[in-house]
Amino acid sequence: MQNTNENFSFKKYAWAQFKKNKIALVSLYLLFALIFIALFAPYIANDRPLYAKYEGNILYPAFASETRTDSIYNAKGDFVQVLQYDITDWRQLNLTSVVWAPIPYSAGSMDRYNRDYAAPSGEQRFKNSEGEIIDIPSKFRHKLGTDGIGRDLASGLIHGTRISLMVGLVSMGIASLIGIILGALAGFFGDTKLKMPRIKYHFTLFGIFMGLFYGFGQRKYVLSQAFSEGIGDGMIAMLISVGVVIGITMLFRLLSKAIQVEWLNKEVSVPMDTFVSRGIELLNSIPRLLLIITITAVVERSIWIVMIIIGITGWTGIARFTRAEFLRIRSLEFVQAAESLGYSSIRTIFKHALPNSLAPVFVSIAFGIASAILIESGLSFLGIGVPDDIVTWGSLLNLGRQNLEAWWLIIYPGMAIFITITIYNMIAEASRDALDPKLKS
Amino acid sequence: MFKYALKRILTFIPMLIAISLLSFVISINAPGDPVERLSKAAGNEGSAEQQSGASKKIKQELRKKLGLDLPIFYLSITDLAASDTLYKVQDKYHKANLEALTHQSGNWQAVSDYYSSLLTLQKAHQQVDAKVIVANNPSLSLNSVNESANQFGFEIGSLLETSDKNIVALKFEKMNSLLEENIFLSDLETSLAKVKQTREGLFVNATKWKTYIPAISWYGSKNQYHLWLLGNGKDRKGLLRGDFGISYIDSQPIQDKIWQKVGISFSLSLISIFLAYLISIPIGIYSAYKKDSVADKGMSLVLFILYSMPSFFVGTLLLLQFANPDNLSWFPVSGIQDPTIFDPNWSLWMKLKHRIPFLILPIITYTYGSFAFLSRIMRIGMIDVVSQDYIRTARAKGLGEGKVILKHALRNSLLPIITVFAAIFPMAIGGSIIIEVIFSIPGMGVEVFNSILNYDYPMIITVFTLSGFLTMIGYLVADILYAVVDPRISYK
Repeated sequence: MQNTNENFSFKKYAWAQFKKNKIALVSLYLLFALIFIALFAPYIANDRPLYAKYEGNILYPAFASETRTDSIYNAKGDFVQVLQYDITDWRQLNLTSVVWAPIPYSAGSMDRYNRDYAAPSGEQRFKNSEGEIIDIPSKFRHKLGTDGIGRDLASGLIHGTRISLMVGLVSMGIASLIGIILGALAGFFGDTKLKMPRIKYHFTLFGIFMGLFYGFGQRKYVLSQAFSEGIGDGMIAMLISVGVVIGITMLFRLLSKAIQVEWLNKEVSVPMDTFVSRGIELLNSIPRLLLIITITAVVERSIWIVMIIIGITGWTGIARFTRAEFLRIRSLEFVQAAESLGYSSIRTIFKHALPNSLAPVFVSIAFGIASAILIESGLSFLGIGVPDDIVTWGSLLNLGRQNLEAWWLIIYPGMAIFITITIYNMIAEASRDALDPKLKS
Repeated sequence: MFKYALKRILTFIPMLIAISLLSFVISINAPGDPVERLSKAAGNEGSAEQQSGASKKIKQELRKKLGLDLPIFYLSITDLAASDTLYKVQDKYHKANLEALTHQSGNWQAVSDYYSSLLTLQKAHQQVDAKVIVANNPSLSLNSVNESANQFGFEIGSLLETSDKNIVALKFEKMNSLLEENIFLSDLETSLAKVKQTREGLFVNATKWKTYIPAISWYGSKNQYHLWLLGNGKDRKGLLRGDFGISYIDSQPIQDKIWQKVGISFSLSLISIFLAYLISIPIGIYSAYKKDSVADKGMSLVLFILYSMPSFFVGTLLLLQFANPDNLSWFPVSGIQDPTIFDPNWSLWMKLKHRIPFLILPIITYTYGSFAFLSRIMRIGMIDVVSQDYIRTARAKGLGEGKVILKHALRNSLLPIITVFAAIFPMAIGGSIIIEVIFSIPGMGVEVFNSILNYDYPMIITVFTLSGFLTMIGYLVADILYAVVDPRISYK
């Protein structure tokens, strides 16, 4: 019925199929909600107010930079005090009017009146602007409780959302880049289709070797210098290195044209598929969690490094799907048409074949995000790899495990991890069904 | 069949080599100097002077025992400027510094001159005796002489470890001013001048172009990797013969510490994988058989939700609910036995009976991780098989439903579930770290967790390598099982 429609497009069809799955649709909305929370985390949970009127001055502390320092004068022009935004306890100022963030606590800030695991519904203390210790007003109640050093759990969860989504995004970004490129090359060329003169083949291999030598061996000290100055500088230096590798490889390929000997110019095929498939097999045969744990044990503790490691160990699934899709697609008419028009392989792969093969890959990326989040929270749960001062869902759950009385530190972070993973899995499964009705089970 | 198995085993050899290479690369990149760690672990207490003589010798022996005086690998790819005898330098930080200096200058001869002049200076400095100086110049106090001398020694030490031009200049300045202020250090002046001269030589005689030409040097089988993997036929037996090196924590051989733990982890994961198969196959068959019924839909949803539950959350929840005096205190919280009652002379049965309450929660957590995954795969595989023609044929010829499902469909639907055995195996090994930590089971997982907290790299690497090898065995078993079950795979 839909096929008769002139405006029929596969995207619309898939979206219609996806919408039929109500649970998946709810999951998608929940994902948008999570993204919203992650983007606006500093305004949802912050111990600086969103808006405050102090001695006649109107301030927007939550929107200002943390280290901002203001000298406050009252209406008569007399100096009152110096406010340094991040260390001021705004709750104890005598504010004439104020709008607090929905959760008036930051993720790392410690409430010293509610240390030692204040239960959500238990007794909580508060120091008011007169300096008296009273029962907590409902606005400042830690609605999900606190941990051993008085950090608010709700705020920790909100900021943990950021970390979780970022882990999924960054690590799967890296994994997709590697996986799609390798999978596409393996699937498109197979073992026989990439042909080049023998001399060019060997020159390319040699060029890659030389490229690695100049790009990474020679630049070793430049790279480590750049990374010690900051992750941004490091990335730029890394890009230059990659550029050097590509450039030198290209140079050697060009050079090979100069040599004209008949035997050397005989066409040989490059076993692209074998290279990639063996690589996938090798990486799959290593217990991934253990590999990640082992690597994080010998490198510096940093959330970025964890993300990168998860990414470079997680591309095999994506590569397998891309490869399978390319194997199917390369014999279709439009790819053959592109080839017979004389387009270069690169153009055919990336401009024509790739856009038509991304759908199943997308499913595998969505599953991959779920497993990346799972691995990161597992690592934080063990306290490995992720620095101690970063509040993540896994590290909160770990605090709960060490103190079973604080049930809120187990239930809430655990549910947050569980719900996020379920959302991604649901979306992945529903889009698989929508994109390929044959697979529907 | 035998031939097929043999062929599979042969293809695993490159994989094993690759895993061993990977673990070796990780292990040589571990931060810190193993010799320092080990000699610290051996517990050399005593005054600084006592240590310097005795511990230097101990350290040298250790270095030799660990094979750190050997080149790293069979061959090395460096540039023309790099020295192929650099590995003989003992100190890890000196080595790194010399490498960096060679990279800056491109002239290994100049670098080695600089290094030896620095060492001469260091030696000259060690001969400065504060007591003699004070005896000759009674106006000086022992403390201040010692302080300046130590300061000077510190500057030499840091020169040996830095290649940064600005820092080097700063250090030279400091040494100059120390010499000016303290006449009694004047013996060192000539050596210092020599150091400065050779330092300039680094750049005057620089042959930077050499660093742009790659060079390959071959070292033969006397290298660290060979020693680590295969041993040297004397005191080191090598990884393949069960010699995993020495733990940094207590200097004990790792193999003595680890075998029992491997047994615990391995049997727990095998039990749980077995249980997972036992539960998930009937569930999968049932929901595939009653496809689209309420029971199937409900079960699918539950399985899907279970599948998304992280096992560490489940484990902690189980502890919270069933091993917690506030709720239900049915099971012990941690460990696999109660040391106050447990008697190692008990019969196997008694031991087992004693341990069962300890093992129930961990096994549930373990099993649960793979069971949801397996049931889903089983269901999909069964649905696929049931719609095949030969099942319709079997029904058409009048076979009973039970026979159709259990005899004809089951065997083929087992195929996908067997292939995932290989996938579940590494999952069980990796997952065991988290589960063992939650329940404090003294297995390989807790061992690796503790060694990470204590920076015990040899142990981490050993566990990693062993798990890699075990995973490979898992793959092998899966492949052979597959060949047994699937008649379409030929053994030839």
